[in-house]
Amino acid sequence: MARYGMTTTVPVEIILAAGHKPVDLNNIFISNPEAAKMTETAEEAGYPRNICGWIKGLYAVVVESDDIDGVIAVTQGDCSNTHALMETYELAGIKTIPFAFPFDRDYDLLKLQMEKLMQALGADWDGVLAVKRRLDAVRAKVGELDRLTWRENTVSGWHNHLFQVSCSDFNGDVDLFEQELDEFLAKAQHAPELGEDLRLGFIGVPPILTDLYDYIERMGARVVFNEVQRQFAMPDAPDDIVEQYRRYTYPYGVFRRIEDIKAEIERRNIDGVIHYVQSFCFRQIEDMIFREKLEVPILTVEADKPGKVDARTRLRIDSFLEMLR
Amino acid sequence: MICGIDLGSRSVKLVLLAEGTVAAEKVLETVDFYRTYGRRSEGELAIDFAALGLGAVDEVVATGYGRNTLDIANATVIPELKAHALGAVWQTGMKDFTLLDLGGQDSKVIKVRRGRMVDFQTNDKCAASTGRYLENMAAVLGISLDELSRYSENPVELSATCAIFGESELIGRIVEGYSVAELAAGVNYTIFKRVRPMLAALPSETVVFTGGVALGGALRRIIEQEMGTRVVVPERPQLNGAIGAAVYAWEKREKYVARN
Repeated sequence: MARYGMTTTVPVEIILAAGHKPVDLNNIFISNPEAAKMTETAEEAGYPRNICGWIKGLYAVVVESDDIDGVIAVTQGDCSNTHALMETYELAGIKTIPFAFPFDRDYDLLKLQMEKLMQALGADWDGVLAVKRRLDAVRAKVGELDRLTWRENTVSGWHNHLFQVSCSDFNGDVDLFEQELDEFLAKAQHAPELGEDLRLGFIGVPPILTDLYDYIERMGARVVFNEVQRQFAMPDAPDDIVEQYRRYTYPYGVFRRIEDIKAEIERRNIDGVIHYVQSFCFRQIEDMIFREKLEVPILTVEADKPGKVDARTRLRIDSFLEMLR
Repeated sequence: MICGIDLGSRSVKLVLLAEGTVAAEKVLETVDFYRTYGRRSEGELAIDFAALGLGAVDEVVATGYGRNTLDIANATVIPELKAHALGAVWQTGMKDFTLLDLGGQDSKVIKVRRGRMVDFQTNDKCAASTGRYLENMAAVLGISLDELSRYSENPVELSATCAIFGESELIGRIVEGYSVAELAAGVNYTIFKRVRPMLAALPSETVVFTGGVALGGALRRIIEQEMGTRVVVPERPQLNGAIGAAVYAWEKREKYVARN
């Protein structure tokens, strides 16, 4: 069984069907207590300071690890920094497999990309669909956790984030992930209702800040919607797996994301939205589109490197919550 | 008497409010303030009001950058933007405006409607549009902040995105032979270019301009000329946050009295 790193969500069903272990490099990076040091490792290797902290972390995770057998890199649908990341992996002697989400969501092109990935890893459609059925059951349970978050109010914003974001690779072990999820759900179903007075949405890429959700909850608010994380979880996956990855909004431009966000703001009764942007990320430009299209107050939070929420950002969050009250 | 304190990154501002008027005021350098009048006890900062010479203080409300990092003994703390909005409403008597506050390391733009903050933007990750930048540039030009803030005509084009590299760019312009007046106007325009998008995003017919940077006249003229809006600088622009903090407590008392 080989271990395949991934730079963002790809059809994980294919990696599992080929008998390999998927490893979301982002999760490995950010859960490492030395994450901040890893971005420095990349800078020492020559990565510019004014480049995304996630890309640097992804570089360091792989070159410092001796048990990643290859990396599936998303060359379209994430960001162009990944191209240079792939090249520096190759420079370090690491095998990479490209995967592209077609910009126009073309069904045939996406199917072709999936088939090429199957070919590269050694999987077939029967195997992939069997894994899909298995994962869909787990995805539905994560959907229940999300429902408990916004409807029953028994799950914190952090746990909502953590379980959903983990659906990119199911922590590399679907059975163990499901077991942990079951245990969490059993408790959450009977947990007391959380009593915050403001309900927030979190949109944008997962934060590089380690205590953002805790801080928000300490200040009396709670995140009841994690946009991209929920997209990773794909709780209502259709039977057709190609369609499943077409419906997945994250790689295909901002306007479909906005439709999804609007519907969830309405459904979840959200008071305000935090738009998280990574320093130096092209998605910062999209902030102006969100501000024009979404009809709720928005706070844009930017961070560069892993660590706790800095004093300035805390001040801005406090003022935002104060304003919503 | 109520004491409002604004713990800024460059200076600490204090005002005393008695019967709804400013009875005393003080602006101290941040480092001097903590060193001379602060004492750490049990994780809190105790302030020596007697030494400050501010007389009897029976209520303290603090705000500002330091609010997140330290607790002041026996003080209520309120968020900075709220304090600034309250201060501007109280100082100008207006209810609908856009507040521009330029402080030592901060640029804040707050949209106020019916006396309440409804939206805001602040600088983040970069302090190139703040008082500290002006201080550095005044030092490079060898003039005082006060003088720097007089010039707005014939600005020299300055394009560096970084306040530090801006210094070497300015030196390059000095070598090219521009006058101090043109160079100083260029510096003031640089600040304007930084805050213009924030003002444009949160527009009002009137801009209330506060913070230490508002003490000079150049930026006010530039905003009026370039954006065609009325710019109001209240009587005590630098003390606006401290006034807002004190007003917070005062209004609470007034409401309490009204209820009982």
